[in-house]
Amino acid sequence: MHEAQTASAPAPATSSTRRGFLISTTSAGFAMAFTLVEPSLAADPADAKSAAAGFEPTIWYDIDRDGIVTVNIIRAEMGQHVGTALARIVAEELELDWTSVRLRYVDTDPKWGTMVTGGSWSVWQSFPYLSQAGAAGRMALLDEGAKLLRVGRSACTARLGVVSGDGRTISYAEIVRRGQLARSYSADELKAMPIKAAAERRLISQPTSAIDIPAKTTGAARYGLDAEVPGMVYARPKLPPTRNGCRVSAIDDSAARAIPGYLKSLVLNDPSGTVPGWVVVCAESFVAASRAADLVKVTWTNSAAASVSEADIQSHGRKLINDASGGALVVEDAGVDAAFTAAKFILEREYTTATVLHFQLEPLNALALQKDGRWEIHTGNQWQSLILPTLAKALGVEEKQVLMRTYLLGGGFGRRLNGDYAVPAALAAKALGRPVKLVWTRADDVHFDSPRSPSVQRLRMAFGPANQVTGMQHHACAGWPTQVMIPAFMPKGKNGAPYDPFAISGADHWYTVGAQRVRALSNDLANSTFRPGWLRSVGPGWTNWALESFMDEAARAAGMDTLAFRLDLLAGKTQGVGKNGADLNVAGALRQAKVLQRAAAKAGWGSKMPADTGVGLATSFGQERDMPTWCACVARVHVDRRSGVVKVEQLTVVVDAGTIVHPDGALAQVEGASLWGLSMALHEGTEFVNGQVRDSNLNTYTPLRMRDVPPLDIEFIASAEPPTGLGEPATTVIAPAIANAIFAAVGARLRHLPMRPADLLAALKTS
Amino acid sequence: MNTPTIAFKLNGQALSVTVSPDTPLLWVIRDMAKLTGTKFGCGIGLCGACTVHMGRRAVRSCITPISDVAGAQITTIEGLSADGQHPLQKAWVQTQAPQCGYCQSGQIMQAAALIRRFPDPSDADIDSVMNGNLCRCMAYVRIRQAIKIAAAEVQGGAPNA
Amino acid sequence: MIKRILLGLAVLLLVGSFGLSWRPAVTPIAPPAADSFTPAQVALGAQLAAAGNCAGCHTAPGGPAFAGGLGLETDFGVAYSTNISPDPVTGIGNWSEAAFARAMREGVARDGSHLLPAFPYTHFTKLSDGDVRALYAFFMTRPAVVAADRENTIRFPFNVRALQAGWKLLFFDAGVYQPVAAKSDIWNRGAYLAEGITHCAACHTPRNRFGAEQGQAAYAGAPFDGWFAPPLNAANPAPLPWTQQDLYDYLRSGESEAHGVAAGVMASVVHDGLAKLPDDDIRALATYFADNNGSAARAPTAAAALSLAMSRRLVDAGRETEPGANLYLAACAACHYSPAAKPLAVQGSLALSSAITADDPSNFIQTVMHGVGGAGFPGPYMPGFASALSDADIAQLANYLRRTRSDQPAWANLPAAIAARRPPSTTTP
Repeated sequence: MHEAQTASAPAPATSSTRRGFLISTTSAGFAMAFTLVEPSLAADPADAKSAAAGFEPTIWYDIDRDGIVTVNIIRAEMGQHVGTALARIVAEELELDWTSVRLRYVDTDPKWGTMVTGGSWSVWQSFPYLSQAGAAGRMALLDEGAKLLRVGRSACTARLGVVSGDGRTISYAEIVRRGQLARSYSADELKAMPIKAAAERRLISQPTSAIDIPAKTTGAARYGLDAEVPGMVYARPKLPPTRNGCRVSAIDDSAARAIPGYLKSLVLNDPSGTVPGWVVVCAESFVAASRAADLVKVTWTNSAAASVSEADIQSHGRKLINDASGGALVVEDAGVDAAFTAAKFILEREYTTATVLHFQLEPLNALALQKDGRWEIHTGNQWQSLILPTLAKALGVEEKQVLMRTYLLGGGFGRRLNGDYAVPAALAAKALGRPVKLVWTRADDVHFDSPRSPSVQRLRMAFGPANQVTGMQHHACAGWPTQVMIPAFMPKGKNGAPYDPFAISGADHWYTVGAQRVRALSNDLANSTFRPGWLRSVGPGWTNWALESFMDEAARAAGMDTLAFRLDLLAGKTQGVGKNGADLNVAGALRQAKVLQRAAAKAGWGSKMPADTGVGLATSFGQERDMPTWCACVARVHVDRRSGVVKVEQLTVVVDAGTIVHPDGALAQVEGASLWGLSMALHEGTEFVNGQVRDSNLNTYTPLRMRDVPPLDIEFIASAEPPTGLGEPATTVIAPAIANAIFAAVGARLRHLPMRPADLLAALKTS
Repeated sequence: MNTPTIAFKLNGQALSVTVSPDTPLLWVIRDMAKLTGTKFGCGIGLCGACTVHMGRRAVRSCITPISDVAGAQITTIEGLSADGQHPLQKAWVQTQAPQCGYCQSGQIMQAAALIRRFPDPSDADIDSVMNGNLCRCMAYVRIRQAIKIAAAEVQGGAPNA
Repeated sequence: MIKRILLGLAVLLLVGSFGLSWRPAVTPIAPPAADSFTPAQVALGAQLAAAGNCAGCHTAPGGPAFAGGLGLETDFGVAYSTNISPDPVTGIGNWSEAAFARAMREGVARDGSHLLPAFPYTHFTKLSDGDVRALYAFFMTRPAVVAADRENTIRFPFNVRALQAGWKLLFFDAGVYQPVAAKSDIWNRGAYLAEGITHCAACHTPRNRFGAEQGQAAYAGAPFDGWFAPPLNAANPAPLPWTQQDLYDYLRSGESEAHGVAAGVMASVVHDGLAKLPDDDIRALATYFADNNGSAARAPTAAAALSLAMSRRLVDAGRETEPGANLYLAACAACHYSPAAKPLAVQGSLALSSAITADDPSNFIQTVMHGVGGAGFPGPYMPGFASALSDADIAQLANYLRRTRSDQPAWANLPAAIAARRPPSTTTP
């Protein structure tokens, strides 16, 4: 368990009693095929005995006898300051003095329901039920406070941790000490709990500092890599040549025995199938384990993947696209083929993206041990619920015998959604009978990343006699992380075929394009060669690359200004067609049009540009149709025709994310997400060579650095709509805006990410 | 073979370690001295997460063998200030620079060397001297702001907003 | 080629056979008592032994002082330094002063055998009697170490000591240093030191196929132990001349803001060796070499040369995209960034680095691989990148820096040069 506190606050006593009912974690209308597990609603029999302890009306927080409110955070703290944002939501309804708030990043427990941090969902999912939980607590405190003050309930108000009425006051701390807080709420009552109107908010949308930050400036913050238990050994994996299909056929550690501190090498036997062909090299120190691993000689059986290249994967993708019968139809309006047959002209283009690494700065690591009859895994992780069953299977125990202890993450970005790195640590600890701290070197981490799969996309647009858009098709083929790692969660398309929503979302855009077809295809060669992963902005990160580049090309084909073309197509849909319906009041494409117009206006769209300088725009709905975060970017670039170097002079990004709970945190996320988009646009990418990624470290893999940062102009649309996600959306609009700007600047069209100087020079030659 | 004992100072405290002389300083700091504020990111001196001070210079501890450290004064993030109130640390909090925070110990230690050498650093100075410190969360905008604020405070002027 | 070698050998054999192939032994003595030398002699001898960097060859790494055992790679095989501690059996404890002096002046051991010119007696012959005596006093008062000399692996026929006599006839001029009347006292002091005890030319002058220094190419630079001892004459390609002040700075402190820092063997020479010499002697060396390299004649153009060199420094980090630039900005710039038009005293600009402007890439490669400084060495510290960067990385970095920071043509055969200098135990990423 990990506590984040403001400086010098003592750790609160944690009460395991639960008074009253617990509230549901399911948020209304979460439409992904996830089945979020409801937490236990049963009252804990231990409730009765700790009457003298604090007040814990829901599982989401407790108030101790000093008035300190500790909010339980089930999300991974990985840079988005989610703990602070979620605590703000609670504190708002609970009418707290913010200085009394503490955070507790909890370890796994079935009572929390599904533990996952990703998809930019956390604030959006949690807002309703945390607000309700806070309101419920406030009600209970007002009721009890009024009683203790001997004042009429309706005369009382709660503010800053104090109940006041009729000139008298009583603090929450005193209420907890003296009161009889036994009120409980049913799930229905909680759902019906009145939440403040936006105008009444005092904390949400107000500036605050992130609680996790101070410790991150002093070295006190503890990440998975910092975990330690007495008696642990260190270990490093010895990785097979490819992710799948390798088996150890011989192992010789005689050279490794010369390393002082070397213990032994374990050939893992993995009932869960997560780590085929792995060897774990153990020693008394990490340095010894790392060097010993270099010296251990292992022979593996060959896997077919060892001959696969990126070009193979991409050409396989094209082949799959060419076969009209395959794939899942995610959108299939009537009359698509007819529209294309009748078209005056058709525009067709292909777009590709290269493999991208997560390269989270804290290399993968996990510490596994047995304690008190349970297996403990100490690591930072984004999806405990996904890996717990796998760990249980690997260890041959029941899931309840596995506990994951939570740490800060030195970067998630989706890598730590795939908790596979916990499995070999657990298996090694089991085989060795000692705690094992398994640490990946950077090269190991890169080679066994779950990278963003390379993708091929083919887009087609049909134009009618007046150059109006009458039909559109978007066919996308890539490795499917959800299929590989959690296939049961794939929804079904219109033709009954399952699809990975994280490999197609974005293509189901909000433009009115006549008859629309969106087809998602799984690149099975990618899936067998490596383990595709969810990487910041997932599908929308690359579907929008194609879509928004294509919209520019389409506009020009239709003889229209690229902004006007889009605005025309965003005017049609005025109601939310997301499965949330009216709840989120999404107002459809109008909000997307608004951010697009605002970004264009801010960036001076239409002004004359100097030579070889151009502006380009792009817009998206962020992550998912039912949780749209409307984004638009205008990029201004200058192109050096001689060297092919693109200098980004300005990025203007406008976002409508509804209510912004923690404004400065939101701004930081859009800064970071925008720069991620820029990094993937111009600076980073790898490729598969002989079944393995070509790069292994920063000597050749070059994510964006300080000197690459352009001026950023970021604006949020003021809104009282429900909050939507922010960790990822801005990533989706940067690369296409830049590609569109490059075209505007020098007339060269690039259709592959990343865009390198050599590519630009080649395109200039043919343009 | 005799494993040598190497004596040096770590955050002002005398320390002696008996370990293979090519052991990187980073792992001595983390696993032997148990100071985990200095981080492991790439192991080849190209990400800066492992940055500490040798004397008053910033060095990448992951490629500094412990044999080179004999007799030296090493300062880690934990030793930068007694109370976390170094101007850089305050500026980092003021600008809310850290996101995941994993790189920030190294960023701060490198920035300390930067502002000692360039008391009024320009953007070009920051671009070059801080470029070796990778921030995967891409919090660069605020790191740059924080450096300027801290530099101004150290110089004694009003902090740049 | 073979014919020439055979001819050369024949000459040596012929020449050597004129009765000079063996010299008489000097009668062994009992090791002299410590008090047979004055403290002043011993102190002077210590200074001279440091200046001569005797320990540099005669002390194996991690081994006892002056007990020998360090292998010197030569074109003819490996020569191992001998035990010169005063042990009477395995060292030189039973050598009289006359025997010692003969070894220093004529390259002959106590037993009459010729010493290989790997031992630079061709330089030590120039020492004054007083200095030789002081060195004898120093070595005889060191702790005696029992350590048998290792067998050389010099190939036949070069290991035939008789041939050394012929070699000496052809290539050796014995005799104490003779001052040059037209030069100042300080110049002559510098010359006496440089040509004598500090034997600079032993590394900095190229050698002929018999391993003798080429007199007509004095101080033209030569390879040494995987490095390249740069030219100390006017042919040095550094953008700025080595002025007397620069030389003094470098030889005294190991740092010259106009050129760079002492690295590799020179770090030891400066910090372990020359550090023991008084200031006047360092000035004398600086005077001698400044005169030798014609720096005074370049003084009028030095400011313009500095300006031109500094114009090559990195100006706009944001525009550099080639792999070598990426590596530089990730691995090097944090320390090496040098924005001002005027170089800073510490962390001198790479635009002025001798390693980058040198014709031979060895010093650049070695510095990147091994770094600079570390335990016991004052001054700047640079970690080595041998385990961090691959051969290809270092080549890209080298090409980038060579192209942008110097006006010299690209280095040829870099990958092979880098691979040849990679320490055997490093694992590359």
